[in-house]
Amino acid sequence: MEKSLFQFIWKNSARYQVAILLVTLLSYPVSYILLDLPKKITNEAIQGSNFPVDFFGMQLGQIQYLAALCILFLVLVVVSNCIKLYLNVYKGRLGERMLRQLRFELFQRVLRFRLPHFKKVSSGEIIPMITAEVEDVGGFIGEAFALPAYQGGMLVVQVGFIFMQDPLLGLAAVSLYPVQGYIIPKLQKKVVRLSRQRVKNVRVIADKVGESISGISEIHGNDTSAWHSADLSSRLYRNFRIRFDIYNRKYFIKFVNNFMNQLTPFFFYFIGGYLVIKGELSIGALIAVIAAYKDLAGPWRELLTYYQMTADVSVKYQTVVENFDPPDLYEKQRLLDDEALAFSGPLAIDNLGLSGVGSGQEVHGVSLTIEPGKPTAISGVDGSGRAELLQMAAGLLSPTSGSVSVNQTSFESTAEATLGRQIAYVGGHLHVWTGTIRDNLFYGLRHRPQEKIEYEGSDLKKRQRQLKEAEMTLNPYFDLSARWEDLEQANVSSIHELEDKALELCNVAGFSRDLYLLGVETVIAKSYCEDPACEFVTSLLRARRAFSDKITDDAQLRNLVEFWDPKKFNQSANLAQNLFFASPKEHFMTIEHLPYDPQVSAFLKKSGMDEHLTEIGLKIATTMVELFADVSADSDLLNRYSFISREDLPEFDRIVKEHKGGLQNSRIKTADRARLIALALKLIPAKHRLGVLDEEMQEKIVASRAQFMEAVGRQNTRFEFFDPDTYLTTLSIEDNLVFGHARLDRRDARQKIQKILQEIVRDNDLIVPIRRAAFDYHVGIAGAKLSSHQRRLICLVRALLKNAHIYILDETASGLSAADKALREDLQKMMSEKVFLFGVSNDAVAEEFETAVHLENGRVIER
Amino acid sequence: MTIDAEVQALSRVPLFEGLESSKLRLLAFISDRMEFQDGEDLCHQGDDGDSAFVVLSGEVAVFVDGNEVARVGQYAIIGEIAILCDVPRTATLRSVGVTHILAISKEDFLKLIAEFPKVSLEIMRVLALRLEKTTRELAQARPAPS
Repeated sequence: MEKSLFQFIWKNSARYQVAILLVTLLSYPVSYILLDLPKKITNEAIQGSNFPVDFFGMQLGQIQYLAALCILFLVLVVVSNCIKLYLNVYKGRLGERMLRQLRFELFQRVLRFRLPHFKKVSSGEIIPMITAEVEDVGGFIGEAFALPAYQGGMLVVQVGFIFMQDPLLGLAAVSLYPVQGYIIPKLQKKVVRLSRQRVKNVRVIADKVGESISGISEIHGNDTSAWHSADLSSRLYRNFRIRFDIYNRKYFIKFVNNFMNQLTPFFFYFIGGYLVIKGELSIGALIAVIAAYKDLAGPWRELLTYYQMTADVSVKYQTVVENFDPPDLYEKQRLLDDEALAFSGPLAIDNLGLSGVGSGQEVHGVSLTIEPGKPTAISGVDGSGRAELLQMAAGLLSPTSGSVSVNQTSFESTAEATLGRQIAYVGGHLHVWTGTIRDNLFYGLRHRPQEKIEYEGSDLKKRQRQLKEAEMTLNPYFDLSARWEDLEQANVSSIHELEDKALELCNVAGFSRDLYLLGVETVIAKSYCEDPACEFVTSLLRARRAFSDKITDDAQLRNLVEFWDPKKFNQSANLAQNLFFASPKEHFMTIEHLPYDPQVSAFLKKSGMDEHLTEIGLKIATTMVELFADVSADSDLLNRYSFISREDLPEFDRIVKEHKGGLQNSRIKTADRARLIALALKLIPAKHRLGVLDEEMQEKIVASRAQFMEAVGRQNTRFEFFDPDTYLTTLSIEDNLVFGHARLDRRDARQKIQKILQEIVRDNDLIVPIRRAAFDYHVGIAGAKLSSHQRRLICLVRALLKNAHIYILDETASGLSAADKALREDLQKMMSEKVFLFGVSNDAVAEEFETAVHLENGRVIER
Repeated sequence: MTIDAEVQALSRVPLFEGLESSKLRLLAFISDRMEFQDGEDLCHQGDDGDSAFVVLSGEVAVFVDGNEVARVGQYAIIGEIAILCDVPRTATLRSVGVTHILAISKEDFLKLIAEFPKVSLEIMRVLALRLEKTTRELAQARPAPS
C-alpha cells in the first residue's frame, strides 16, 4: 500500500486531480477580469470622458457603456460562482470516492491478515482507524493539488503585480517569506510528532473502552471499576496534555505568521514613504501596492492552513496505513479467486511444525495421513498443540514448516474458495453472527451471490449507479440482495429443501428441542404471516381455537386464561391493552410514552377517556402514596409491589397533595396529567385489586375500543388490533396461540398453559413448522440470546450443512454425557466418505474412534 | 372483590386483629388473591410451608394422612404458623367448590414485620396470649396430683 498520502492520491486520482486543476486554471481569467472590472467601471464608465468608446467593435455612449460593463460584470459573477459550485461538488465527490476506496482497501487488508496477527491488534484499535481516523483524508483529497495551485497562482500574480510597480517594494513584500519558510516548518514538525502521539493515545483509549465493555463482568466481580476509571482518566489527561501542546504550537505558528504579515507594511510605509517624499514613486502606486499586499494575505493564509492540514492529514494517513501492512499478508488472490477445486482422497499432514508462538501452542514434526471414511481422534490436553494442529489442518493457520495437502495441493497456495468450501471446521472459539438462526445456519453456503437479479426501471438505474461507483472505487460488484446460499453445494434444489435438510441436521445434533422452544418465542417474519393463504398461519389459528376450546371446556382448566374478547374487559391485562385493544408495532412505544403520542392523546381527549384515566391515576397514586409512604427506602416491598418506583414516589406525593380536593377544583399540569394517565394505563385490575375501576367504567373502556380503532384506522402502520381470527404479526407464536393473559389468581397457571399448549401443538402437527419458524429467531448480538451450548450446536449444524470433504471438530460434542456420546456415533456414521478429524482433550473419548492419535507437547506420542 | 373486602377479612383474623387498618391494607395489597377450583389443592402435607391462607369465600377441607379432619369457612386463617417459622405443612388443604383465598407469603410478611416493629409487637402479644391459654389448658388437662 502507498506509504505516503500524496502517492496514494496521485496513484488513484491523477486524472481527476488534473481535471480539477484545469477547471481551476479556467477560473483564473474569470476572477482576474472580475477583479479588474469594478475599476474599469468607476474609472472609464463613470468618471471617463472620451465617449463614444469602442467596445468589441461597437460604438457606445456613456450610459450604454456603463450598462454593458455592468451586464458583463453580472454575467461573470454568475459564471465564476457556477465554476466554484461545480468545483466544490466535484472535489467533495472525489474525496468521498477516495475515502470509500481507502476504507474498503483497509478492510480487505484486515481480511487478509493471518490469524496470528490478530493476537497483536485489537478490534478496539482497528475500528477507529477504518472509521474515524481516515475521515479527514476524504475532505483533503479534493483540495490536495487544486488549493496550492490556485492560491499559489494568486500569490504569484499579486507578488508579480507589486514587483511591476516597484522592484524594491516587491522585495520588501517578500522579504520575510524566507524567514517564515524557515521557522514555520520547524514548529510544524513538532506538531506532527504530537499528532502522531495523539492518534496513538486515542487508539489506546478506544481499546481500553472496548476491553472494559467485553470484560464488564470481571470489573464488577472484582470491584476494579476504580482502577479502570483511574486508568482511563490518566489516558484522557495525557490526551489533554498532547492536545494542549498542539494548540500552543499551532496558534504560535498562526501568531508568527500574522505578526510577520503585519510587519511587512512597516517596510512599505517606511521605504515607500521615503521614495514618495524623494519623488521616486507616485503616491498612487504606493496605495496600489499596499492594496495589493492586503490581497496577498488571503492566499498566504490559505496556503499556510493548507500546509498545516497536509501535515496533519499525512500523519493520520501514515499512522493508519502502517498498521495495515504486515509483511506476511495473504495474497489478494487467495480471497478473490472463485475457482473451487473439488477435494477427494486423503488429507496428508507432512512433517508439520509451528514455532515462534507462545509455549503450549507449538507443534513439532507431526505427520499423519487421514483417509476418507476413517474417523480419527486427536487427543491431547490444552497446551499440547492440539488446537493449533487442527487449525493448520483446516488451512486457517500457516505452519512454519512442513505442509498440509490433499492430492499434492498444498493448503498454503490454495484459495479460500476451495479451503472454505471443502473444509468445515468447528473449533474451540466459535462465532455466531448477529442475525437470525437461519442466517447462521446457512452462513457456510454464502460464498458468492448465486443469481443475477434482473433489475428494471428505476431499480436498474440505481443498480447501475451503484456498479459504476463500485468500479470507480475498486469495490466489489456483488449484489447483497441476491440469493447467496449455494444450494448445489448442500445438494438441494430449493431454499425450502435446504430448510428441511437443516431441520434434519438439527435433529441429529440434538438441537430440535431448543429449536422448538425458541420457535415458540419467535415473532415470525411479517411477509410470512400476512399472507392469508399461508398454511402455517392457518394452522396456528386453528390451534388457537383448539386451545381456547380446551381451556373453556375442561372443568379443571377453566378460567386458566382470560382471552382477548373484543366485548369483554380483561381483568388480567393492563388498562392500556384493555383500552386500545392492540399491540404497538413500534418497539419504542412504552406506556410512559403513550400519553404523549399525538394519535393516542387525540383519541383520549375526543373520547373523554383522558379525564377518566387521570382520575383513576390520581386514585391509584393516592392509595400508593398512602400504602408505601412510610416504607423505608431500602425495603424491596416498594419495588416489588408498587407500580410506582421509589424515585417517582415523591413526585406522585406532590401531585396527590396538590389535588387533594379532587380534579374538578384545581387545574392540572399537562406533564402531571400524562404521568397520571400512564399510571392508570399500567393498572392490572386482577393483580392490584384497588377497586378504582367499577363495572360502569369497565364497560366504558370496552366501548372505547371501537372508537380507537376508528380513530387510527383498522389497517395502520402503528397499532395492530387484537382479533380472534387474525394472526398478530407483533406477537410471538406462543402469545398468538394463547391469545390472552394467564389468570394471575390461578396457581401455576403458566406451567399448566405450557403443557396444554404442547399437546395442542402436537395434535395439530405444528412441531416441525414451529421449529422451522425458529429459523427467524434473532440470536442477539453475537448470539448473546443463546446459551453457549446452543451456539456450539448451531456452528456444528452450519458445518454439516456445508457438505465439505474434510470435517475438523475440536472440543465439540466431546463431553461424557450420553447425548454427546450418541452424537459422536451419529457423526462417525455420517462421515463414512469424509475425512474426519475429531479433537478432544479426554483420552477415553478418543478411544471411541477407530484411529486415535495422542499429542503431548506438540509431538505425536506412540502408545 | 377489592382490597377493601380483603382488609375486612384480614381484620377478622385473630392474629392480625390488633393491627391498624393502614398496615392491613398494605398486607392485603402485597398478598396474592387466588381462585381454586373444586378439588384443587392449596398445599400438600409435608411440603415446606411458604404462605398462610385466609379464606375469603367458599370452604376448604383439611386432610391429615388422607383423612378429612375438618372443614373451615370464610375468614378462617390456615397455615399461619408457616409464615412465622419453618415447619412442614401438617395437613393437605383442598378446595371444596370454588374458593377465593388470600395467600400471604412468608417472605413478604417477614419484610412487613421488619419494616414496622409495631406490627411484630402486636403479633407477639397475640401469640403470647395463645401460649398462656395453651399452658393453662394443659395444666387443667393434667390430672391433679393425688
